[in-house]
Amino acid sequence: MAEFDDQTDQSTVNRLVRGGVLLIAGLVMLFFAWGYPTGTINQMGPGFIPQTVGVLISVLAVAIIVIDLRNPEQEDVGQMHWRGLIFISAAIAIFAILVDVAGLVPSMFLAVAVSICADDDARPIPTLIYASIATLFGWLLFLVALGLPIPAFWR
Amino acid sequence: MIRKLLTALPLAVAFAMPVAAEDFPDRSLRIVHGFGAGGNADTVSRIIAEEMSKSLGQPVVVESRPGAGGTVASGYVSKEDPDGYTMQLMVGGHAVAAALYNSLPYESVDGFTFISTLGQFPFMVAARSGEYASMEALIEAAKASPGSIKIGHSGVGSTQHLTGELLALRTGAEFLHIPYKGGAAASTALMGGEVDVVIDTGTVIRPQADAGVYDILAITSGQRWPDAPDLPTVAETVAPDFDVVSWTGIGMPAGVPTEISDKVRGAVHAALATPAVSDKIASLGAKPSPSTGEEMTNLIAGQIAVWTDVIATAGIDKR
Amino acid sequence: MLDQFLLGLSVVLQPTVLIYAFFGVFLGQLIGVLPGVGAITAISLLLPVTFYLDATTSMILLAGIYYGSQYGGSIASILMNLPGTPSSVVTCLEGYPLAQSNRAGLALFVAAFSSFVGGMVGVAILVLAAIPMTIIALKFGAPEYAMLVILGLLAASMIGTGSQIRSFAMVVLGIALGLVGADATTGYYRFVALPELADGISLVSLAMGLFGVSEIIRNASKRRPANAPHLSISMRDVIPTREQARSLGMPILRGSSIGSFFGALPGTGAAIASFMAYAMERRFSRSPEKFGKGHLPGLAAPESANNAASQTGFIPTLTLGVPGDAVMALIVGALILNGIIPGPRLMVDQPDLFWGVIASFFVGNIILLLINIPLIKLWVLLLRIPYQKLYPIIVVMICVGVYSHRTSVTDVVLTLAFGILGYLMKNYRFEPAPVLLGFVLGPLLEDNFRRTMLLYGGDFSVFVTRPISAVLVAGSVFLIGFAIFSSVSNRNKSNRATT
Repeated sequence: MAEFDDQTDQSTVNRLVRGGVLLIAGLVMLFFAWGYPTGTINQMGPGFIPQTVGVLISVLAVAIIVIDLRNPEQEDVGQMHWRGLIFISAAIAIFAILVDVAGLVPSMFLAVAVSICADDDARPIPTLIYASIATLFGWLLFLVALGLPIPAFWR
Repeated sequence: MIRKLLTALPLAVAFAMPVAAEDFPDRSLRIVHGFGAGGNADTVSRIIAEEMSKSLGQPVVVESRPGAGGTVASGYVSKEDPDGYTMQLMVGGHAVAAALYNSLPYESVDGFTFISTLGQFPFMVAARSGEYASMEALIEAAKASPGSIKIGHSGVGSTQHLTGELLALRTGAEFLHIPYKGGAAASTALMGGEVDVVIDTGTVIRPQADAGVYDILAITSGQRWPDAPDLPTVAETVAPDFDVVSWTGIGMPAGVPTEISDKVRGAVHAALATPAVSDKIASLGAKPSPSTGEEMTNLIAGQIAVWTDVIATAGIDKR
Repeated sequence: MLDQFLLGLSVVLQPTVLIYAFFGVFLGQLIGVLPGVGAITAISLLLPVTFYLDATTSMILLAGIYYGSQYGGSIASILMNLPGTPSSVVTCLEGYPLAQSNRAGLALFVAAFSSFVGGMVGVAILVLAAIPMTIIALKFGAPEYAMLVILGLLAASMIGTGSQIRSFAMVVLGIALGLVGADATTGYYRFVALPELADGISLVSLAMGLFGVSEIIRNASKRRPANAPHLSISMRDVIPTREQARSLGMPILRGSSIGSFFGALPGTGAAIASFMAYAMERRFSRSPEKFGKGHLPGLAAPESANNAASQTGFIPTLTLGVPGDAVMALIVGALILNGIIPGPRLMVDQPDLFWGVIASFFVGNIILLLINIPLIKLWVLLLRIPYQKLYPIIVVMICVGVYSHRTSVTDVVLTLAFGILGYLMKNYRFEPAPVLLGFVLGPLLEDNFRRTMLLYGGDFSVFVTRPISAVLVAGSVFLIGFAIFSSVSNRNKSNRATT
């Protein structure tokens, strides 16, 4: 029955997340920007604006945390789409890794095949057929019609 | 089928051995450059690639790898195989980068086999029409009230910027250097009266001068320029020995066999001799300038020395 | 003026020139639809072709690609939430919800029609007021740009559907992302974790990630009703009702005026214009709650603004020879290779070219409207393809488009990172649009602010002593005041309602 106790904690945590992540972003930014030279007002250095922006983000983040904590209504946080997140990310990552070494055609094929897996109803054979058709289409569009200077296969 | 493949394998290995120069090129070549698709570097690459593919009998593809003032492309090319199939279109910024960056992922001179320069062009010192009677008048005015005359340039660490700093160093005049994003923006600022002087290429300056908006006070090359013999040089007016000329050229990774680099140089020179190429280079305000590899190496090494000096004395932040 | 315009028309209406004008706008539109492959790619592909054409024809062809791709960009934004340029980000805000509620045809029609009117107003300004607009544009120095950007950013932070403080935080986050790379004033490297980041984060990566990829992640695994069976493609569902049409008149007019004005300023005219037009509609609308859910005036105003801006964007290019943005610089480059150096004398020395190109905009916009209306049916048919079949192709198109943009693997990885960020942001009710505007305008602000300080010796009073700058400052003050006033009066209203 610990779940019931967690409920209030979790909603507090959930309400903290938004502003919290932003606060971390602002602080990380300040951490790096602190070393940049700030210069003078008429000869501003490269650090002036980043430090200002870092402070501004942190202040806004604190303001958002305060507002969210005061707000009694729990705003619904969208549900996570894990399957989409994992497979779409994998597809793009595979494309990024392969395109320079293996060329456009294999990377397009794998990117299509993997991204189809994000769909719950994906079946192996239709996936392969569909990925082949999509790759052919991509080859025609990008290499034949547009003539982009990307090698089709590895060199 | 498999047996066939297996018997073919040793043969394939034999073919993959280094081939003699007379067989070069037996596949497509490429020209890499470090600037955006469609820009001047890209255009020059495409024009030269088209002519070179005619004389070499193989396609020459152009590849754009922009980033960090062309250094991303230089780093990429210097690490490619020195087999003659990878070329780089380089610009004057190659020498500037050598002086400007604390660490580069390549050796600016030793990391490359330089083939030939393609074109050279001077910069022009321009002011709004009627503001300054001559180059001498500009320098006098700058000396009279140090730091009050504003020179707009096309970006920190651009050749235009360093040329302005060099002018200050050699004449002892003090200017306020104002950075803009590109020569067009600097030129707009000059028209609008935000800055007093702009130093940039003929393509930026000349149309305005022709329309009577600007006066060209001087040209930065050591000698008067054949295209515009009436324009005085900076050297003859205010700073003896002042000589800044920017360039484009072709380089390859270090270690390309001489026979192959000679063959490519021959193709580059042949391309430069065609009106299709020389006209286009001239329309970009440059003088077609075929050279030997040694001449190009000396040009670059000399410019690196000058810019290193300028950056150190002017106190420009290295990156 | 009219005589010269007629001279221009006589140039354009020659059959061969007309064919190239048609080809240009058509190709521009098709390429504009492809995510990540924008006008720059299309123009650089066609650059070699222009070596064989005369200067006027090549300029007409390339310019056609440029404004044609604006139309195409709207299509991708409405149908798939894929903004190719900062100005079409605003199109996504209302267009995509419309498409999701089976009103894609109507959205496309309104977009095409508003674009047409905006484009025509832009051409009219170009014909009638090119020179006065040039003079105004030259009056915009560093202080004016800095204040203009602040005004734009304030307007942007008002476009979110959620709280304004959160929108503002997102604008600032966008500015932060825009800081990555070599500092424009000193060349100092900031937040450059990888050498590829030296030139900063690519706008294409950020836009495709925050909008396109995040939406695919959200929808790929979603079970949706097999096909929307009643997906409308009859002409009656495409054309707005009389009532809807009446509500669009003023937004289109306002959008066109804002766009025509800001477009003439070299720099990011179109982006500022479309955001300002949208923010203005939302601020002064009688039903602001409808925005963000597919409200037609919110689509029409920015669409007309960005197309008006893409026409008046040619003013500095044609009258001064100063290209306003990267695409314009390519077009100027093509002219130079043709032996014509555009400058202040272009209008006098080459009246055929000058007025021919302007007249081609007039003809080109008509062509675009004519080819767009029948194509609407085709585009809507595209939505009949089940999403499960469509999204893998979109993923690959985004990948290839982003990669080919700078031949950079880092850009593809960043697109993914921004996709995940955009997905999480939406889950936690943060708006991605202000991030993008902050990203585009932030560097412009920093640049011009620091340049102002450099030029005027750190003296802040220039912002109020220069007349145009002072007007812009007053505008910003007004916007802030209005925001505070409306939030206070809202709170009073809700307090009264609860007690």
